[in-house]
Amino acid sequence: MSDPTRPGGSPPEPPRSRGPGRGPASEVVASFLVNGEAVRALVPATRTLLEFLRDELGLTGTKHGCDLGDCGACTVLVDGVPRLACLTLVAELEGAAVTTVEGLAADGRLSPIQDALDRHGAAQCGYCTPGIAVNLTALLAEEPHPDDAAIREVLGSNICRCTGYTRILDAAREVAGGGQ
Amino acid sequence: MLPLPRFAWQAPDTLHGLLDAAARPGARILAGGTDLLPSMKHRLHRPSLLVSARRLPELAAIYEDGDDLCIGAFATLRAVRRHPVVRAELPALADACATVATPTIQAMGTLGGNLCLDTRCAFYNQPEGWRQALGGCLKADGDVCHVARKGAGCYAAHSADTVPVLWLLGARARIAGRRGTREVPVSELYDGADGRRWLRLEPGEVLTHVLVPRRGAPVVHHKVRLRASIDYAALLVAVRREGSGARAVISAVGPAPVEVRAARAEELPDLAHARVKPLGTHVVSTAWRRHMVRVAVRRALDACPVP
Repeated sequence: MSDPTRPGGSPPEPPRSRGPGRGPASEVVASFLVNGEAVRALVPATRTLLEFLRDELGLTGTKHGCDLGDCGACTVLVDGVPRLACLTLVAELEGAAVTTVEGLAADGRLSPIQDALDRHGAAQCGYCTPGIAVNLTALLAEEPHPDDAAIREVLGSNICRCTGYTRILDAAREVAGGGQ
Repeated sequence: MLPLPRFAWQAPDTLHGLLDAAARPGARILAGGTDLLPSMKHRLHRPSLLVSARRLPELAAIYEDGDDLCIGAFATLRAVRRHPVVRAELPALADACATVATPTIQAMGTLGGNLCLDTRCAFYNQPEGWRQALGGCLKADGDVCHVARKGAGCYAAHSADTVPVLWLLGARARIAGRRGTREVPVSELYDGADGRRWLRLEPGEVLTHVLVPRRGAPVVHHKVRLRASIDYAALLVAVRREGSGARAVISAVGPAPVEVRAARAEELPDLAHARVKPLGTHVVSTAWRRHMVRVAVRRALDACPVP
C-alpha cells in the first residue's frame, strides 16, 4: 500500500460507499496482481500471503522463516513497499500489486541487485537472500544511490546468520554506486 | 508453520460501520497486524472477528489542523516518519517511529497500533507450549505472575516506542465509539495498575486520530535496546526541558509509562533513578536496566537543547 500521507490542506473526503455485502466473512475473495499476473483468491479469512504464495501459487522463492515478523525472509513488495508476507492477510490485498523475488528478474536476466548478490557470493545457506534482494530492490528503486547508513538500516529488516552481512553490503554498495 | 486461529474478517467502508463492527463481541481492530497477528499465532488473543480499516483511507491521512498535526491512527509509522511536518517540526516523533522494530515493520505498523500496543513480558510473549510448561501466567492462561509472585497484578511492560515522545509533546488521542467521540491526552490513555488492563479504551471504542501540537519546546527520544534494529525497548526515555526544569517520561518498566519532573534539569537523572524500578519482564538484566535509567535520562537530557 502506498504511503497515505497528505502534506497539508484540509481533511480528505470520506470514501464513497461501495454497496452492500460488507459483513463479517470467514471466506474472502480478493483480486490482485502477483508479479504482473492477475490472481483471484477465494480463501479462508485466516490465509496469509506467505501461505498463499507458497502453497497455492507454488512461488516458493518467498521463504517461510519465523512466521512472526522478526526475520524478514518472507519480504515481498506490495505496491512497491516492502511487507512481511507472513503478517499480511490475503483478505487485505484487494487491488494490490504484489512482487515476489520471482518477479525481480526481467527477460530471463537477473536484476542488478540479484546479479550483484550473486557475483559477490552474498549467500551461504541462502534462506535470507530472497527477502534481502526484495528489500534492497525497494530501497534502490526509491533512492538509486543510498549511503551506507541507508543500506544498513534497510538490512536491519533481514536476519542473516551466515554471512555477517559483509558481502551483502558489498553487493548493495556496488549497485548503489552505479556499478563502480 | 504457526497457523492463525479461526476468525472472520470485515472491512467496513464507513466509520459508522467500523464502530458497529468493532462493538461486536470478540471483535478486534486490525491495523498493521505486526503485533496482533504474531500474538494470535501464539494464541495470546483469539478474536472471532478482525475489523480492517483498509476501506477507510481517511483514517490513514496526515494533515495540518490549526496548531495541531492530525495523524490518522491507521497512518503507517513509515508515513509518519517521512511526513514533511513531522520531519521539520516534530523530529522526536520521527526518531521514535524510526526505532520501532525494522523499516519493513514500520511500513506495515501504524501509529494507532503503536499507541494500543499490548504490554509485553518475557513470560507472556512466548509460544503456547512454552507458556503451558509454566502453567501460564496472569496475563495469559494462568493465575501466577512469574515476575512478581506476591504482586497484586500483572507487570507486563508498556513498550510502545512513540508514546513517551507523544506524551511530552502534549498529544491527544481522539477516540470514537457508538456513543460519540472523545479526546484524551496520551498521558491519560494508560493505567499502570495492571498490565492486563493498561489501555483505557471502553469495549467497542476505536482510536481514530492522534493530534500532536506543533509548537513547544523540543523533545528528545532515547531507546535502550540490545541491537540497533528489531528489538523492543529494554528502556524507553523521552525528555523535555521546561525553563530551568525538565520532565522525563520513562517506559518499558511497567504497565504504563512513568513521568518524572525536576525543578532543576540537572536533578532529573537521579530523580528518575530513584523513582523508576524496572521489574524482571525482560530477558535483559533488571539491575542493568535500573542502572540505565539514570544513564539514559542523562544522555537524553544532554541531547536536549536548553530553551
